[in-house]
Amino acid sequence: MSEQDQFRELIEAYALGALDPTERTALEAHLAAGCPECAKALGEARYLVSQLAYLAPPAEPSDMLKARLMRTVRAEEGVARASKAKPSSASIPYWLWAGVAALLLLSVYSAWDARRLQSEVQEVKAREAAELKQRGQLEQELTEAKHEAWILTDPSTKKIDIMPSDKEMPKLEAMWHPELGIYITGQKMPMPKGNKVLQLWLIPKAPGGKPMPSHTFWPDANGKIAEMVDDPPEVMAQTKALAITEEPAGGSQQPTSTPLWVGGVS
Amino acid sequence: MTSKYGDGASSDATLVDRLLQKDVRAFEELYDRHSRIVYALVVRILQQSPTAEEVVQDVFLQLWRNAAQYQAARGPFVPWLLTLARNRALDHLRLKSERQRRREDQTEELPAISQAPEYEKALDEKRRAERVRSLIGTLSAPQKKAIEMAYFEGLSHSEIANALHEPLGTVKSWIRNGLLRLKEGLQTAS
Repeated sequence: MSEQDQFRELIEAYALGALDPTERTALEAHLAAGCPECAKALGEARYLVSQLAYLAPPAEPSDMLKARLMRTVRAEEGVARASKAKPSSASIPYWLWAGVAALLLLSVYSAWDARRLQSEVQEVKAREAAELKQRGQLEQELTEAKHEAWILTDPSTKKIDIMPSDKEMPKLEAMWHPELGIYITGQKMPMPKGNKVLQLWLIPKAPGGKPMPSHTFWPDANGKIAEMVDDPPEVMAQTKALAITEEPAGGSQQPTSTPLWVGGVS
Repeated sequence: MTSKYGDGASSDATLVDRLLQKDVRAFEELYDRHSRIVYALVVRILQQSPTAEEVVQDVFLQLWRNAAQYQAARGPFVPWLLTLARNRALDHLRLKSERQRRREDQTEELPAISQAPEYEKALDEKRRAERVRSLIGTLSAPQKKAIEMAYFEGLSHSEIANALHEPLGTVKSWIRNGLLRLKEGLQTAS
């Protein structure tokens, strides 16, 4: 693919504002160099992106908004008209002009001050919302951590080693509490290839029983897995083994590949 | 050309020209025509009405005070206005400082948008919305999600990939292929 083609492929995402800094800088340099083909494509892409606004659910602004706007616009139009009109010094005394000027200054100051206060209120509200959100996340994390700690320390929890089919792959560990669920951990995990995810299966003891689908998950950027399954689809006593396969994004109802990890439950 | 607002109605570009003369009626006409889609877009981005009204007020006051920023030769009015509204709403979303916003008010030059295709000029807002929604309905759920996150939340490829726990290359493909499909749909609809 030529360099020109590579830049051309970035145009739509650039118009959308989705490019990451490195690609954006490179494309902007290319556009600044005067590529007519990309400039034309960018104009078309911006038009296309603007049409996405019509995906917003319909909404009506309040009548008060229009009233506020029209009041401001009419006031500014009056000032503009007055400033264009020729002064008639004979008919309007200077003291009146001074009064008008004072009133205008007062109204401009009031508008500026109101806007400043409104802006401060909005920023405080936004900060408050962000802090509440962060607090909610921390509380959630704390609850999860307590949950996991309980599973790890409770005597009724069973430890299950989940062994890899490939010796090069790491071993995983599952801690299964009969009431609280399964907590799976692992290190140095490779990222599933392509658009795949890892999926947990519960293999029933019953002869001929089909594997029961459970959570899908990915390792984090450091290859670490810490997955809490608080709603296993089968109880421990009825489960022969845990297995993990690679599945298409979104998971599967039946395994579509050979298990990469398997661990006997009992 | 016949305006979609009727034979006797002025085009948007003519109304913007009249704004340069501080014509209040022209401003009111533009507001009545386009405030609903601008407001709907801003509410969708900010998810709250009071702030959305403040942003819509800013957008229309910028139009009133700096109508010369719009140049009809560089593209149609509504996409320009929607781009202005989206940028302003995303600025609020990112909590940009008032000082920075004010500086941009003075220097901001919005990008050129290519001329709308001829068939676009006859469509009213309702039909545009129906058509765009219908076209995006043909995309896969992940494509639609990624495009909406980029457009309404202002997220980059990497940020979307992190949020969706998907590979970066996958997200890039979703967005590019989704937009190209929308473009083809718009062209076919003509």
